[in-house]
Amino acid sequence: MQIQGCPGSRMMSFENKDAKDSGRVVGKIQSQLKQWPIQMHLISPTAPYYQNADVLLTADCVAYALGDFHRDYLKDKSIAIACPKLDQGQEMYLEKIKAWIDDAMINTLTILIMQVPCCMGLLNLAQQAAQTAERKIPLKFVVVGVQGDILQEEWV
Amino acid sequence: MKPYLTKGIKEIIDQFPEVEKILNEYDIGCGPCNVGLCQLKDIVEIHRLPVDQEQELMARITKAIDPEAEVKIPEAKEAPPPEPKAFNYSPPMRKLVDEHVLIKRWIALIPEVVKDLEVESQAGRQLVLDGVDMIRSYADKFHHAKEEDILFKYFDENSDILKVMHEDHKQARGHVQAILEALEIKDKNAIAEHLMAYAGLLTEHIRKEDEILYPWMDSSLSTRQVGELFSKFNEADLQMGFSPKKYEAFIDSLEKKLNA
Repeated sequence: MQIQGCPGSRMMSFENKDAKDSGRVVGKIQSQLKQWPIQMHLISPTAPYYQNADVLLTADCVAYALGDFHRDYLKDKSIAIACPKLDQGQEMYLEKIKAWIDDAMINTLTILIMQVPCCMGLLNLAQQAAQTAERKIPLKFVVVGVQGDILQEEWV
Repeated sequence: MKPYLTKGIKEIIDQFPEVEKILNEYDIGCGPCNVGLCQLKDIVEIHRLPVDQEQELMARITKAIDPEAEVKIPEAKEAPPPEPKAFNYSPPMRKLVDEHVLIKRWIALIPEVVKDLEVESQAGRQLVLDGVDMIRSYADKFHHAKEEDILFKYFDENSDILKVMHEDHKQARGHVQAILEALEIKDKNAIAEHLMAYAGLLTEHIRKEDEILYPWMDSSLSTRQVGELFSKFNEADLQMGFSPKKYEAFIDSLEKKLNA
């Protein structure tokens, strides 16, 4: 059957999740979030928790899809979240990413996006900002599948 | 078999030459290594073969060491066509790999330099001195120093693999010293011999780093450490006090001259 429509908003249902659960984690899972706010429009790029930090720029949906997000990705990092498809005023994001690199002197930037095509906009935005920034830093991107699997993890 | 896991590979190969052939089949080229201190277990681990291939390799090595041993060698699967290895290096490792390119271009020119080697004229001697300057300033000071003073500090410097890398650097410096001493007494044969030995040593050394050491290091480094290394490498380049462009120009002009 040929699937029609935008892959970013296509309806899907994932059944039988219990069977796939590896059962590794026991007990309450500790949040690894160490700052507030986190939405890209609300953050100040030079806030103390961004100084010399390893920063995650994460598409909104990632933390819902990725079961081990806190433990495997958020731990010891600072974060901002955004939706490249729905957010308005993304030129402000470009400036904030540049300010992370040049003013907050961040150590690395990891961009976590979903596998849907519209999410590539966030990676493109980050790359554009990194190219125009004066400092150079390592950039990594991680593509997360809609069922929470890591499809790609590479240094740019 | 167990005692051999912690033995140096050179010692094992000397005792059981078949092991070198087996390792070669899995693209593990320990044979030409000058040091051979790496333990068998570490070699198998560092090459990160697929599980079935690792089991097959270990079974075959066990059989080569002890033909009487009861070993079940997994059935060989039909080999897929070989694919060129593509590594996703982190940015600091990419920087080191990119620096290798100029060194490899110099190495590729060495046989031609040796063929036309001439030490009686000032121009002939200057070419040797320029080559030595390229090795000392670019390959050693600019490149190897980043490894020895920064990168290797993130790992156990007593590990076999890093001992091998240090030993290669030491031997390379020895060849350079020998080239300069031979130039003093205009000993053309000794200059040629040490230039060619340097080329052979560095070819193998760079292959080990690009294909084994750096990918292994990348898999062990945290994101934090990758960022730190990137900054430290950039800082080291700034403090170096010379531009690598000088050596790119040297190689460009030598390529034009020798390939004309």
